[in-house]
Amino acid sequence: MICDQCGERSASVIVKQQQQGQIVERNLCHICAAENHSINIAFEQDPLAIHQLLSNWFPNAQASINPVRKEIATCPSCGFTFSKFLRIGKFGCASCYDAFSPQLNEIFKRFHNGNIEHTGKIPASYGTTLKIKKEIEELRKQMQISIQGEHFEEAARLRDEVKVLSAKLEGGIQDGS
Amino acid sequence: MAVERFLQPHASSWMANDGENVDIAMSTRIRLARNLNNFKFPYAFTEDEALKVDKEISAVLLDKGNELDYTFSHISIEELAELQKEILVEKHLISPYLINSHHSGSVLLSDNEELSIMVNEEDHLRIQSLQSGFQLQQAYKIANELDSLLEKNLSYAFHEKHGYLTSCPTNVGTGMRASVMLHLPALTMSHQIQRIIPAISRLGMVVRGIYGEGSEALGNVYQISNQLTLGKSEYEILQDLENMTEQIIQQERKAREAIALNSPIVLEDRIYRSLGTLTHSRLLTTEEAATCLSDVRLGIDLKMIQDVDMSILNELMIFMQPAFLQQYADKPLQPKERDFARAKLFRERLNKNGINSEGEDLA
Repeated sequence: MICDQCGERSASVIVKQQQQGQIVERNLCHICAAENHSINIAFEQDPLAIHQLLSNWFPNAQASINPVRKEIATCPSCGFTFSKFLRIGKFGCASCYDAFSPQLNEIFKRFHNGNIEHTGKIPASYGTTLKIKKEIEELRKQMQISIQGEHFEEAARLRDEVKVLSAKLEGGIQDGS
Repeated sequence: MAVERFLQPHASSWMANDGENVDIAMSTRIRLARNLNNFKFPYAFTEDEALKVDKEISAVLLDKGNELDYTFSHISIEELAELQKEILVEKHLISPYLINSHHSGSVLLSDNEELSIMVNEEDHLRIQSLQSGFQLQQAYKIANELDSLLEKNLSYAFHEKHGYLTSCPTNVGTGMRASVMLHLPALTMSHQIQRIIPAISRLGMVVRGIYGEGSEALGNVYQISNQLTLGKSEYEILQDLENMTEQIIQQERKAREAIALNSPIVLEDRIYRSLGTLTHSRLLTTEEAATCLSDVRLGIDLKMIQDVDMSILNELMIFMQPAFLQQYADKPLQPKERDFARAKLFRERLNKNGINSEGEDLA
Protein backbone atom coordinates (compact mmCIF):
# COMPACT_ATOMS: atom_id res chain seq x y z
CA MET A 1 0.00 0.00 0.00
CA ILE A 2 1.21 3.50 -0.88
CA CYS A 3 1.26 6.32 1.71
CA ASP A 4 -1.91 8.46 1.61
CA GLN A 5 0.07 11.63 2.13
CA CYS A 6 3.19 11.58 -0.04
CA GLY A 7 1.95 8.99 -2.53
CA GLU A 8 5.55 7.78 -2.91
CA ARG A 9 6.76 5.56 -0.08
CA SER A 10 4.96 2.42 1.05
CA ALA A 11 2.64 2.84 4.00
CA SER A 12 3.76 1.28 7.26
CA VAL A 13 1.59 3.01 9.87
CA ILE A 14 -2.17 3.28 10.25
CA VAL A 15 -3.05 6.58 11.88
CA LYS A 16 -6.52 6.74 13.40
CA GLN A 17 -7.94 10.14 14.16
CA GLN A 18 -11.28 11.14 15.53
CA GLN A 19 -12.91 13.80 13.41
CA GLN A 20 -16.45 14.98 13.97
CA GLY A 21 -17.24 11.91 16.01
CA GLN A 22 -16.00 9.53 13.35
CA ILE A 23 -12.76 7.61 13.21
CA VAL A 24 -10.77 8.47 10.13
CA GLU A 25 -8.05 6.02 9.16
CA ARG A 26 -5.06 6.98 7.09
CA ASN A 27 -2.27 4.77 5.85
CA LEU A 28 1.02 6.59 6.13
CA CYS A 29 4.70 5.85 5.63
CA HIS A 30 6.94 6.26 8.67
CA ILE A 31 8.19 9.65 7.48
CA CYS A 32 4.76 11.21 6.92
CA ALA A 33 3.50 9.65 10.15
CA ALA A 34 6.25 11.44 12.06
CA GLU A 35 5.43 14.69 10.29
CA ASN A 36 1.85 14.27 11.37
CA HIS A 37 2.70 14.33 15.02
CA SER A 38 1.31 17.73 15.66
CA ILE A 39 3.05 19.47 18.53
CA ASN A 40 -0.15 21.25 19.28
CA ILE A 41 -1.55 20.14 22.60
CA ALA A 42 -3.20 23.34 23.66
CA PHE A 43 -6.48 21.87 22.47
CA GLU A 44 -7.66 18.77 24.14
CA GLN A 45 -8.72 16.00 21.85
CA ASP A 46 -11.38 13.74 23.23
CA PRO A 47 -9.31 12.24 26.04
CA LEU A 48 -10.80 8.88 25.25
CA ALA A 49 -13.12 8.10 22.42
CA ILE A 50 -16.23 9.05 24.31
CA HIS A 51 -18.67 7.18 22.13
CA GLN A 52 -16.63 4.02 22.68
CA LEU A 53 -16.85 4.43 26.44
CA LEU A 54 -20.57 5.03 26.18
CA SER A 55 -21.20 1.94 24.10
CA ASN A 56 -19.11 -0.12 26.54
CA TRP A 57 -21.22 1.13 29.42
CA PHE A 58 -24.54 0.64 27.60
CA PRO A 59 -23.98 -2.45 25.46
CA ASN A 60 -27.71 -3.19 25.37
CA ALA A 61 -28.97 0.31 24.77
CA GLN A 62 -30.99 -0.85 21.80
CA ALA A 63 -32.38 -3.88 23.62
CA SER A 64 -33.32 -1.86 26.68
CA ILE A 65 -35.79 0.20 24.69
CA ASN A 66 -39.21 -1.08 25.62
CA PRO A 67 -40.33 -3.08 22.58
CA VAL A 68 -43.95 -3.27 23.66
CA ARG A 69 -44.51 0.48 23.98
CA LYS A 70 -42.25 1.03 20.96
CA GLU A 71 -40.79 4.06 22.67
CA ILE A 72 -37.38 5.25 21.73
CA ALA A 73 -36.15 8.22 23.69
CA THR A 74 -36.09 10.90 21.01
CA CYS A 75 -35.36 14.56 21.53
CA PRO A 76 -38.39 16.54 20.36
CA SER A 77 -36.28 19.56 19.47
CA CYS A 78 -33.40 18.18 17.37
CA GLY A 79 -34.54 14.62 16.63
CA PHE A 80 -31.50 12.94 18.20
CA THR A 81 -32.35 9.49 19.59
CA PHE A 82 -30.67 8.12 22.70
CA SER A 83 -28.90 5.53 20.59
CA LYS A 84 -27.54 8.24 18.30
CA PHE A 85 -26.26 10.07 21.40
CA LEU A 86 -24.49 6.86 22.47
CA ARG A 87 -23.09 6.31 18.98
CA ILE A 88 -21.50 9.75 18.51
CA GLY A 89 -21.12 10.64 22.19
CA LYS A 90 -22.57 14.15 21.76
CA PHE A 91 -25.84 15.95 22.46
CA GLY A 92 -27.73 17.64 19.62
CA CYS A 93 -29.27 20.44 21.65
CA ALA A 94 -30.20 21.63 25.13
CA SER A 95 -33.49 19.67 25.10
CA CYS A 96 -31.57 16.37 24.73
CA TYR A 97 -30.62 16.78 28.40
CA ASP A 98 -34.31 16.52 29.35
CA ALA A 99 -35.25 13.94 26.72
CA PHE A 100 -32.52 11.50 27.84
CA SER A 101 -32.71 12.53 31.46
CA PRO A 102 -33.46 9.07 33.01
CA GLN A 103 -30.19 7.67 31.63
CA LEU A 104 -27.97 10.69 32.10
CA ASN A 105 -27.22 10.54 35.82
CA GLU A 106 -25.49 7.21 35.29
CA ILE A 107 -23.40 8.66 32.46
CA PHE A 108 -22.45 11.85 34.32
CA LYS A 109 -21.48 9.84 37.39
CA ARG A 110 -19.00 7.83 35.36
CA PHE A 111 -17.42 10.83 33.65
CA HIS A 112 -17.35 13.06 36.71
CA ASN A 113 -16.35 10.81 39.62
CA GLY A 114 -19.90 10.24 40.86
CA ASN A 115 -21.08 13.85 40.50
CA ILE A 116 -24.27 14.83 38.72
CA GLU A 117 -24.93 18.36 39.97
CA HIS A 118 -23.42 21.67 38.94
CA THR A 119 -22.23 23.72 41.91
CA GLY A 120 -20.36 26.47 40.08
CA LYS A 121 -21.20 29.72 38.33
CA ILE A 122 -24.83 30.54 37.54
CA PRO A 123 -25.66 33.11 34.83
CA ALA A 124 -26.98 36.28 36.45
CA SER A 125 -30.38 36.02 34.73
CA TYR A 126 -30.86 32.35 35.77
CA GLY A 127 -29.66 33.26 39.23
CA THR A 128 -32.78 35.26 40.08
CA THR A 129 -35.05 32.61 38.52
CA LEU A 130 -33.40 29.86 40.56
CA LYS A 131 -33.70 31.90 43.73
CA ILE A 132 -37.43 32.49 43.19
CA LYS A 133 -38.01 28.80 42.46
CA LYS A 134 -36.28 27.86 45.70
CA GLU A 135 -38.41 30.42 47.60
CA ILE A 136 -41.62 29.01 46.09
CA GLU A 137 -40.60 25.50 47.12
CA GLU A 138 -40.03 26.68 50.66
CA LEU A 139 -43.36 28.57 50.81
CA ARG A 140 -45.24 25.50 49.54
CA LYS A 141 -43.66 23.39 52.28
CA GLN A 142 -44.77 25.92 54.90
CA MET A 143 -48.24 25.98 53.34
CA GLN A 144 -48.57 22.19 53.75
CA ILE A 145 -47.57 22.48 57.38
CA SER A 146 -50.14 25.26 57.93
CA ILE A 147 -52.90 23.19 56.32
CA GLN A 148 -52.04 20.15 58.44
CA GLY A 149 -52.15 22.37 61.52
CA GLU A 150 -55.48 23.77 60.28
CA HIS A 151 -54.09 27.32 60.20
CA PHE A 152 -56.06 28.12 57.07
CA GLU A 153 -55.61 31.90 57.19
CA GLU A 154 -51.85 31.47 57.28
CA ALA A 155 -52.07 28.94 54.43
CA ALA A 156 -54.08 31.37 52.30
CA ARG A 157 -51.52 34.10 52.92
CA LEU A 158 -48.71 31.76 51.84
CA ARG A 159 -50.72 30.71 48.75
CA ASP A 160 -51.00 34.36 47.73
CA GLU A 161 -47.27 34.82 48.17
CA VAL A 162 -46.63 31.84 45.93
CA LYS A 163 -48.96 33.36 43.34
CA VAL A 164 -47.05 36.63 43.34
CA LEU A 165 -43.70 34.86 42.99
CA SER A 166 -44.99 32.56 40.22
CA ALA A 167 -46.20 35.56 38.24
CA LYS A 168 -42.79 37.16 38.67
CA LEU A 169 -41.14 33.95 37.54
CA GLU A 170 -43.21 33.75 34.35
CA GLY A 171 -42.48 37.38 33.60
CA GLY A 172 -38.79 36.79 34.21
CA ILE A 173 -38.66 33.77 31.95
CA GLN A 174 -40.35 35.69 29.18
CA ASP A 175 -37.81 38.45 29.53
CA GLY A 176 -34.95 36.00 29.36
CA SER A 177 -36.10 34.14 26.26
CA MET B 1 -7.48 41.54 5.85
CA ALA B 2 -8.03 41.33 9.58
CA VAL B 3 -6.11 38.09 9.91
CA GLU B 4 -2.74 39.39 8.70
CA ARG B 5 -1.53 40.73 12.03
CA PHE B 6 -2.13 37.35 13.69
CA LEU B 7 -0.08 35.45 11.11
CA GLN B 8 3.14 37.35 11.70
CA PRO B 9 5.92 35.50 13.48
CA HIS B 10 5.81 37.84 16.43
CA ALA B 11 5.31 36.38 19.87
CA SER B 12 1.88 36.42 21.49
CA SER B 13 2.00 37.96 24.95
CA TRP B 14 1.41 34.53 26.56
CA MET B 15 4.66 33.29 25.00
CA ALA B 16 6.61 35.88 26.98
CA ASN B 17 8.94 34.70 29.68
CA ASP B 18 7.16 36.12 32.66
CA GLY B 19 4.66 34.94 35.23
CA GLU B 20 5.20 32.77 38.25
CA ASN B 21 7.40 29.66 38.07
CA VAL B 22 7.93 30.38 34.41
CA ASP B 23 11.08 28.25 34.30
CA ILE B 24 8.87 25.15 34.62
CA ALA B 25 5.32 26.33 33.91
CA MET B 26 5.40 27.68 30.37
CA SER B 27 1.82 28.83 29.88
CA THR B 28 -1.67 28.66 31.35
CA ARG B 29 -4.97 28.26 29.54
CA ILE B 30 -8.62 28.45 30.58
CA ARG B 31 -11.34 27.27 28.24
CA LEU B 32 -15.07 27.82 28.83
CA ALA B 33 -17.61 25.97 26.67
CA ARG B 34 -20.97 27.68 26.20
CA ASN B 35 -24.05 27.29 24.00
CA LEU B 36 -26.88 29.64 23.13
CA ASN B 37 -30.39 28.80 24.25
CA ASN B 38 -32.40 29.11 21.08
CA PHE B 39 -30.25 27.17 18.65
CA LYS B 40 -29.45 23.49 18.24
CA PHE B 41 -25.87 22.54 19.10
CA PRO B 42 -23.29 22.28 16.30
CA TYR B 43 -23.75 18.50 15.87
CA ALA B 44 -27.40 19.06 14.95
CA PHE B 45 -27.79 22.61 13.69
CA THR B 46 -28.31 23.80 10.13
CA GLU B 47 -25.95 26.06 8.20
CA ASP B 48 -28.54 28.79 8.55
CA GLU B 49 -28.44 28.48 12.34
CA ALA B 50 -24.63 28.42 12.27
CA LEU B 51 -24.59 31.77 10.49
CA LYS B 52 -27.10 33.26 12.92
CA VAL B 53 -25.09 32.06 15.94
CA ASP B 54 -21.95 33.58 14.47
CA LYS B 55 -23.76 36.85 13.84
CA GLU B 56 -25.23 37.09 17.36
CA ILE B 57 -21.97 36.33 19.13
CA SER B 58 -19.80 38.52 16.90
CA ALA B 59 -22.17 41.46 17.24
CA VAL B 60 -21.84 41.40 21.03
CA LEU B 61 -18.05 41.08 21.04
CA LEU B 62 -17.36 43.64 18.34
CA ASP B 63 -19.78 46.04 19.95
CA LYS B 64 -19.18 45.53 23.67
CA GLY B 65 -15.64 44.14 23.80
CA ASN B 66 -14.31 47.60 24.62
CA GLU B 67 -16.21 47.50 27.94
CA LEU B 68 -13.43 45.13 28.99
CA ASP B 69 -10.72 47.08 27.17
CA TYR B 70 -10.38 44.51 24.41
CA THR B 71 -10.56 45.11 20.72
CA PHE B 72 -11.57 42.00 18.81
CA SER B 73 -11.00 41.05 15.20
CA HIS B 74 -13.55 38.72 13.62
CA ILE B 75 -12.07 36.12 11.27
CA SER B 76 -14.27 33.75 9.25
CA ILE B 77 -12.55 30.41 8.90
CA GLU B 78 -13.77 29.71 5.37
CA GLU B 79 -12.25 32.96 4.13
CA LEU B 80 -8.75 31.83 5.14
CA ALA B 81 -6.22 30.07 2.93
CA GLU B 82 -5.14 26.58 4.10
CA LEU B 83 -1.74 27.80 5.25
CA GLN B 84 -3.30 30.68 7.21
CA LYS B 85 -5.61 28.26 9.03
CA GLU B 86 -2.67 26.04 9.93
CA ILE B 87 -0.66 28.97 11.23
CA LEU B 88 -3.47 29.95 13.58
CA VAL B 89 -3.59 26.34 14.81
CA GLU B 90 0.17 26.25 15.32
CA LYS B 91 -0.09 29.46 17.31
CA HIS B 92 -2.77 27.76 19.47
CA LEU B 93 -5.27 30.49 18.60
CA ILE B 94 -7.76 28.07 17.04
CA SER B 95 -8.25 24.31 17.27
CA PRO B 96 -7.76 21.76 14.48
CA TYR B 97 -11.41 20.83 15.04
CA LEU B 98 -12.60 24.31 14.03
CA ILE B 99 -10.87 24.22 10.65
CA ASN B 100 -12.25 20.74 9.87
CA SER B 101 -15.84 21.60 10.74
CA HIS B 102 -18.30 21.64 7.84
CA HIS B 103 -20.29 24.54 9.30
CA SER B 104 -19.50 28.22 9.16
CA GLY B 105 -17.22 28.98 12.04
CA SER B 106 -15.13 31.91 13.05
CA VAL B 107 -12.73 33.13 15.65
CA LEU B 108 -12.63 36.44 17.47
CA LEU B 109 -9.12 37.35 18.57
CA SER B 110 -8.11 40.08 20.96
CA ASP B 111 -5.30 42.28 19.71
CA ASN B 112 -2.87 40.96 22.33
CA GLU B 113 -3.78 37.32 21.45
CA GLU B 114 -4.65 36.53 25.08
CA LEU B 115 -8.29 35.89 24.26
CA SER B 116 -9.57 33.69 21.49
CA ILE B 117 -13.28 33.03 21.13
CA MET B 118 -14.10 30.25 18.71
CA VAL B 119 -17.62 30.24 17.30
CA ASN B 120 -19.27 27.00 16.16
CA GLU B 121 -16.53 24.66 17.18
CA GLU B 122 -17.93 21.67 19.11
CA ASP B 123 -20.02 24.20 21.06
CA HIS B 124 -21.40 27.54 19.91
CA LEU B 125 -18.78 29.29 22.03
CA ARG B 126 -15.34 28.31 23.18
CA ILE B 127 -13.82 31.12 25.22
CA GLN B 128 -10.09 30.73 25.66
CA SER B 129 -7.84 32.80 27.83
CA LEU B 130 -4.08 32.35 27.54
CA GLN B 131 -1.41 33.61 29.95
CA SER B 132 2.32 33.07 30.19
CA GLY B 133 3.72 31.11 33.11
CA PHE B 134 1.59 29.70 35.94
CA GLN B 135 -1.35 32.10 36.22
CA LEU B 136 -4.56 30.11 36.67
CA GLN B 137 -6.40 32.78 38.65
CA GLN B 138 -5.49 35.58 36.27
CA ALA B 139 -6.40 33.53 33.17
CA TYR B 140 -9.74 32.58 34.77
CA LYS B 141 -10.49 36.16 35.80
CA ILE B 142 -10.15 37.30 32.20
CA ALA B 143 -12.22 34.42 30.79
CA ASN B 144 -14.89 34.89 33.46
CA GLU B 145 -15.25 38.62 32.83
CA LEU B 146 -15.73 38.00 29.15
CA ASP B 147 -18.24 35.23 29.92
CA SER B 148 -20.23 37.56 32.18
CA LEU B 149 -20.27 40.23 29.49
CA LEU B 150 -21.58 37.70 26.96
CA GLU B 151 -24.26 36.29 29.25
CA LYS B 152 -25.64 39.77 29.83
CA ASN B 153 -26.24 40.09 26.11
CA LEU B 154 -26.96 36.50 25.04
CA SER B 155 -29.19 33.75 26.41
CA TYR B 156 -27.06 30.74 27.41
CA ALA B 157 -28.22 27.13 27.51
CA PHE B 158 -28.16 26.50 31.26
CA HIS B 159 -29.79 23.77 33.35
CA GLU B 160 -30.66 24.12 37.03
CA LYS B 161 -29.18 20.79 37.94
CA HIS B 162 -26.51 20.18 35.31
CA GLY B 163 -25.21 23.74 34.78
CA TYR B 164 -23.88 24.97 31.43
CA LEU B 165 -25.02 22.57 28.73
CA THR B 166 -22.43 21.38 26.22
CA SER B 167 -22.30 19.05 23.23
CA CYS B 168 -20.06 16.61 25.05
CA PRO B 169 -21.09 15.03 28.37
CA THR B 170 -17.50 15.45 29.59
CA ASN B 171 -17.79 19.26 29.59
CA VAL B 172 -21.23 19.79 31.15
CA GLY B 173 -21.45 21.81 34.37
CA THR B 174 -18.80 24.49 34.56
CA GLY B 175 -17.83 23.94 30.91
CA MET B 176 -14.33 24.75 32.12
CA ARG B 177 -11.06 23.13 31.20
CA ALA B 178 -8.09 24.70 32.96
CA SER B 179 -4.60 23.64 31.96
CA VAL B 180 -0.96 24.43 32.60
CA MET B 181 1.86 23.54 30.24
CA LEU B 182 4.85 22.18 32.12
CA HIS B 183 8.43 21.56 31.07
CA LEU B 184 9.52 18.48 33.04
CA PRO B 185 12.90 17.26 31.75
CA ALA B 186 14.25 16.01 35.08
CA LEU B 187 11.12 14.05 36.01
CA THR B 188 11.22 12.52 32.54
CA MET B 189 14.96 11.64 32.64
CA SER B 190 14.54 10.01 36.04
CA HIS B 191 11.38 8.15 34.89
CA GLN B 192 9.43 9.56 37.85
CA ILE B 193 6.84 11.00 35.48
CA GLN B 194 5.56 7.49 34.78
CA ARG B 195 4.61 7.18 38.45
CA ILE B 196 3.09 10.65 38.66
CA ILE B 197 0.76 10.43 35.65
CA PRO B 198 -1.45 7.54 36.87
CA ALA B 199 -1.55 8.95 40.43
CA ILE B 200 -2.91 12.28 39.19
CA SER B 201 -5.58 10.70 37.03
CA ARG B 202 -7.15 9.24 40.16
CA LEU B 203 -7.70 12.77 41.48
CA GLY B 204 -9.90 14.06 38.68
CA MET B 205 -7.01 15.58 36.76
CA VAL B 206 -5.04 14.42 33.77
CA VAL B 207 -1.47 14.80 32.54
CA ARG B 208 -0.69 14.35 28.88
CA GLY B 209 2.50 14.38 26.90
CA ILE B 210 2.65 16.28 23.69
CA TYR B 211 1.98 13.10 21.68
CA GLY B 212 -1.36 12.64 23.36
CA GLU B 213 -1.78 9.81 25.82
CA GLY B 214 1.00 8.23 27.81
CA SER B 215 4.40 9.32 28.89
CA GLU B 216 6.18 10.00 25.62
CA ALA B 217 6.31 13.75 25.53
CA LEU B 218 7.84 15.72 22.69
CA GLY B 219 10.36 18.15 24.16
CA ASN B 220 9.46 16.96 27.69
CA VAL B 221 6.44 19.25 27.66
CA TYR B 222 3.33 18.04 29.45
CA GLN B 223 -0.10 19.48 29.96
CA ILE B 224 -1.96 19.08 33.26
CA SER B 225 -5.68 19.81 33.26
CA ASN B 226 -8.87 19.15 35.20
CA GLN B 227 -11.03 16.24 34.06
CA LEU B 228 -14.17 16.92 36.12
CA THR B 229 -16.62 19.68 35.25
CA LEU B 230 -19.53 18.61 37.48
CA GLY B 231 -19.76 18.64 41.25
CA LYS B 232 -17.02 21.20 41.90
CA SER B 233 -17.16 24.96 41.51
CA GLU B 234 -14.74 26.77 39.22
CA TYR B 235 -12.94 28.00 42.33
CA GLU B 236 -12.47 24.46 43.69
CA ILE B 237 -11.32 23.12 40.33
CA LEU B 238 -8.72 25.88 40.02
CA GLN B 239 -7.60 25.37 43.62
CA ASP B 240 -7.10 21.62 43.14
CA LEU B 241 -5.24 22.11 39.89
CA GLU B 242 -3.09 24.82 41.40
CA ASN B 243 -2.12 22.64 44.37
CA MET B 244 -1.32 19.69 42.14
CA THR B 245 0.72 21.80 39.72
CA GLU B 246 2.71 23.31 42.59
CA GLN B 247 3.54 19.83 43.83
CA ILE B 248 4.73 18.73 40.40
CA ILE B 249 6.86 21.88 40.07
CA GLN B 250 8.48 21.12 43.45
CA GLN B 251 9.13 17.53 42.40
CA GLU B 252 10.72 18.72 39.17
CA ARG B 253 12.97 21.12 41.10
CA LYS B 254 14.10 18.31 43.41
CA ALA B 255 14.78 16.03 40.44
CA ARG B 256 16.81 18.77 38.75
CA GLU B 257 18.91 19.28 41.87
CA ALA B 258 19.52 15.55 42.14
CA ILE B 259 20.66 15.21 38.53
CA ALA B 260 22.89 18.31 38.74
CA LEU B 261 24.44 16.90 41.91
CA ASN B 262 24.90 13.29 40.82
CA SER B 263 26.03 13.67 37.23
CA PRO B 264 27.01 17.27 36.54
CA ILE B 265 29.39 16.55 33.66
CA VAL B 266 27.00 14.23 31.84
CA LEU B 267 24.26 16.85 32.17
CA GLU B 268 26.49 19.71 31.05
CA ASP B 269 27.68 17.68 28.07
CA ARG B 270 24.13 16.93 27.03
CA ILE B 271 23.03 20.55 27.32
CA TYR B 272 25.96 21.93 25.30
CA ARG B 273 25.66 19.24 22.63
CA SER B 274 22.04 20.27 22.18
CA LEU B 275 22.94 23.95 21.99
CA GLY B 276 25.55 23.04 19.37
CA THR B 277 22.98 21.08 17.38
CA LEU B 278 20.52 23.96 17.35
CA THR B 279 23.11 26.55 16.36
CA HIS B 280 25.05 24.49 13.80
CA SER B 281 22.76 21.95 12.16
CA ARG B 282 21.78 22.04 8.52
CA LEU B 283 18.89 19.59 8.90
CA LEU B 284 16.64 19.53 11.96
CA THR B 285 13.57 17.33 12.39
CA THR B 286 10.75 18.45 14.69
CA GLU B 287 11.67 15.69 17.15
CA GLU B 288 15.35 16.58 17.32
CA ALA B 289 14.64 20.29 17.59
CA ALA B 290 12.14 19.71 20.40
CA THR B 291 14.56 17.49 22.32
CA CYS B 292 17.41 20.00 21.97
CA LEU B 293 15.15 22.92 22.89
CA SER B 294 14.27 21.09 26.08
CA ASP B 295 17.95 20.59 26.96
CA VAL B 296 18.88 24.21 26.23
CA ARG B 297 15.90 25.44 28.25
CA LEU B 298 17.12 23.33 31.17
CA GLY B 299 20.63 24.72 30.67
CA ILE B 300 19.30 28.27 30.98
CA ASP B 301 17.27 27.37 34.09
CA LEU B 302 20.39 25.85 35.71
CA LYS B 303 22.43 28.97 34.77
CA MET B 304 24.81 26.92 32.64
CA ILE B 305 23.82 28.88 29.55
CA GLN B 306 23.74 32.64 30.06
CA ASP B 307 23.58 34.18 26.63
CA VAL B 308 20.34 32.75 25.22
CA ASP B 309 17.06 34.49 25.87
CA MET B 310 14.33 32.11 27.07
CA SER B 311 11.56 33.95 25.26
CA ILE B 312 13.29 33.18 21.96
CA LEU B 313 13.06 29.48 22.77
CA ASN B 314 9.33 29.86 23.47
CA GLU B 315 8.86 31.48 20.10
CA LEU B 316 10.91 28.85 18.31
CA MET B 317 8.68 26.10 19.75
CA ILE B 318 5.84 27.70 17.79
CA PHE B 319 7.63 28.95 14.70
CA MET B 320 9.46 25.70 13.93
CA GLN B 321 6.17 24.05 12.94
CA PRO B 322 5.40 23.23 9.29
CA ALA B 323 2.97 26.04 8.39
CA PHE B 324 5.11 28.76 9.95
CA LEU B 325 8.21 27.41 8.20
CA GLN B 326 6.42 27.52 4.88
CA GLN B 327 5.32 31.07 5.45
CA TYR B 328 8.87 31.98 6.47
CA ALA B 329 10.23 30.37 3.30
CA ASP B 330 7.34 31.87 1.33
CA LYS B 331 6.70 28.59 -0.56
CA PRO B 332 5.37 25.06 0.06
CA LEU B 333 8.06 22.77 1.50
CA GLN B 334 8.45 19.00 1.40
CA PRO B 335 9.38 17.35 4.73
CA LYS B 336 13.12 17.28 3.93
CA GLU B 337 13.03 20.88 2.83
CA ARG B 338 11.28 21.78 6.07
CA ASP B 339 14.10 20.22 8.06
CA PHE B 340 16.52 22.43 6.17
CA ALA B 341 14.37 25.54 6.69
CA ARG B 342 13.96 24.68 10.37
CA ALA B 343 17.74 24.42 10.86
CA LYS B 344 18.19 27.77 9.12
CA LEU B 345 15.55 29.36 11.34
CA PHE B 346 17.29 28.15 14.51
CA ARG B 347 20.70 29.36 13.35
CA GLU B 348 19.35 32.78 12.46
CA ARG B 349 17.29 33.29 15.58
CA LEU B 350 19.88 31.99 18.02
CA ASN B 351 22.90 33.61 16.39
CA LYS B 352 21.28 37.01 16.62
CA ASN B 353 21.85 36.58 20.30
CA GLY B 354 25.57 36.40 20.26
CA ILE B 355 26.17 32.70 19.73
CA ASN B 356 28.63 32.20 16.93
CA SER B 357 27.54 29.37 14.67
CA GLU B 358 30.85 29.45 12.77
CA GLY B 359 30.85 27.76 9.38
CA GLU B 360 29.40 29.08 6.16
CA ASP B 361 25.72 29.61 5.95
CA LEU B 362 24.76 27.54 2.96
CA ALA B 363 21.36 29.06 2.48
